[in-house]
Amino acid sequence: MSLTPMALRSVLRTPTGLRPLLLQAPRALYHSYEHAQPPPYREAESAILSSAFTYVPTHGFTQEALTLGAKDAGYLDISTNLFPKGAFELVKYHLTTQRLGLKDRIQFPDGQMGVGRKVRSLVLERLRANADTGVINRWQEALALMSLAENIPASLRELSALSDEIWFLSGDISVDTSWYTKRASLSAIYAATEVYQTTDKSTDFKDTEQFLDRRLEELRVMGGAVGNTLEWVGFQGGALVNLLRSKGVRI
Amino acid sequence: MASAVPRAAKRLRLTNTPGYVCTDCRRAFAASTQPRLQQQPPPQPPPSQHVGQTAKTTHFGFETVAEELKASKVRTVFSSVASSYDTMNDLMSLGIHRLWKDHFVRSLNPGIRPTPPPPRPPPPPPQSQRILDIAGGTGDIAFRLLDHATTTNRDPHTSVLISDINPQMLAEGRKRCLSTPYHATNRVSFLEANAEDLSAIESSSIDLYTVAFGIRNFTHKATALREAYRVLKPGGVFACLEFTPNLANPVLNALYKRWSFGAIPLIGQLVAGDRESYQYLVESIEKFPSQREFAAMVRETGFLVPGDAEGGGWEDLSMGIAAVHKGVKPV
Ligand SMILES: C[S@@+](CC[C@H](N)C(=O)[O-])C[C@H]1O[C@@H](n2cnc3c(N)ncnc32)[C@H](O)[C@@H]1O
Repeated sequence: MSLTPMALRSVLRTPTGLRPLLLQAPRALYHSYEHAQPPPYREAESAILSSAFTYVPTHGFTQEALTLGAKDAGYLDISTNLFPKGAFELVKYHLTTQRLGLKDRIQFPDGQMGVGRKVRSLVLERLRANADTGVINRWQEALALMSLAENIPASLRELSALSDEIWFLSGDISVDTSWYTKRASLSAIYAATEVYQTTDKSTDFKDTEQFLDRRLEELRVMGGAVGNTLEWVGFQGGALVNLLRSKGVRI
Repeated sequence: MASAVPRAAKRLRLTNTPGYVCTDCRRAFAASTQPRLQQQPPPQPPPSQHVGQTAKTTHFGFETVAEELKASKVRTVFSSVASSYDTMNDLMSLGIHRLWKDHFVRSLNPGIRPTPPPPRPPPPPPQSQRILDIAGGTGDIAFRLLDHATTTNRDPHTSVLISDINPQMLAEGRKRCLSTPYHATNRVSFLEANAEDLSAIESSSIDLYTVAFGIRNFTHKATALREAYRVLKPGGVFACLEFTPNLANPVLNALYKRWSFGAIPLIGQLVAGDRESYQYLVESIEKFPSQREFAAMVRETGFLVPGDAEGGGWEDLSMGIAAVHKGVKPV
């Protein structure tokens, strides 16, 4: 397989010491079509989590919602011991089910749209799921839970998986060395846009859409340069933390 | 200051008491003390004693004994020491077992929060849980469970049945109960029973089954697990806090083995004048299944094991000196 000019450029811009890493990077693509994945939850877990999720709009991402869900599913208060991570399990449930459900929420007419447009639609569609499930007003609680040290690895894993899923569904199945860059950039853009969404008061999340467009434009202008992108991701991470702090989330 | 006097007196008395030893603490003690005593090389488990494992024999530490004998031998280990039990716990663990027990109880979160009354009467009947604390000894876990339910979840109804094979331990628990806020309520009761036969308890009647530092003394662990499964309601939780036979880190493990086999029986001899009981307790830990094996036993009994998907299914405490196992009975 040959490198695209863009990918080649990004390899050449990488410090020499890191280049072999990029070139050998296995494409550990992981998405819902390629592998027959085991169902993410056992029956009892799905039953409890799906009922508990209906309490999130009113009770938030809390142990209380989990308990109410357990009782609705025919379990007991104490049965929430099935979920060692407590309320964070509800956050993970939303992330997982919405990632896996994304492919059914959106269909692209053949050959009409470029990869870039599709990525944009997919991100918007995924964000729309936050509103459709009624948890957008509670999503800052979820972000706070995700930012707890013990939950960060699982949260980042989910974010990467979502990014992979979006690239895959957008039809970008090219195997090249810019894959890690793409994953990192899209993850960063998605995370920043989602934080923005939690503060968006405009109708139909028009402001969020514009925010996303600005981020995608920045990415286009900067190309796939690894160095720049990582710097940019770092910057976005900082911006995200600041935004959350300004919203009174303690991180 | 004033309270130090009776405590000191108690400790003095303790040094003359032959017999008891709490297992829980030996390891914590070993792990947290600087080497001061002469170390002895860990004795190898004598393999020749495992010959002819017919259905009729079992382990008593490394000894192989007739099954009927084990329960009574275990009883002797835990007898006559009942009155010094809690002091001994503190002495031996330097308090660490308390932290484990606190964590164990907090993570279980017993008790039912009152729900705000609906706009229209009748108000819902107060909800409560029925907890069974097996091998409950003097109630160290049981009173913590009640405290958590009462203070954290504002649940004044949840009750605990403390069960133990050893009547002396239960008598001590009764005495202790008098000094708790629960003595004049019907929230604490006692039952003398072998954990392998809970026929005194109805099937599907318990919300939470706890066993802390007890299960490794049971002759038939799988039988005890089946009884736990039977008495629990669908959705009920089995929870076990127990020492582990090996630490994950091989270097620490080797050090630890020297301590537990070398120093601890010696401490037992010095402090309680009873080397053999201590020796038994150390060996019973060694004989207990590994975390992975025990999690498999819980699963085979029919329980849903939390965290199974992440490849674990238990929680290690203090570098894996002890571990918590849980199981939920499916609905
Ligand atoms: C180390 S103590 C633990 C006491 C208490 N759970 C705690 O954590 O402080 C172990 C207890 O297990 C009890 N025990 C031993 N074998 C038993 C059996 N087969 N059935 C019920 N209890 C048993 C002993 O009598 C003793 O009280």
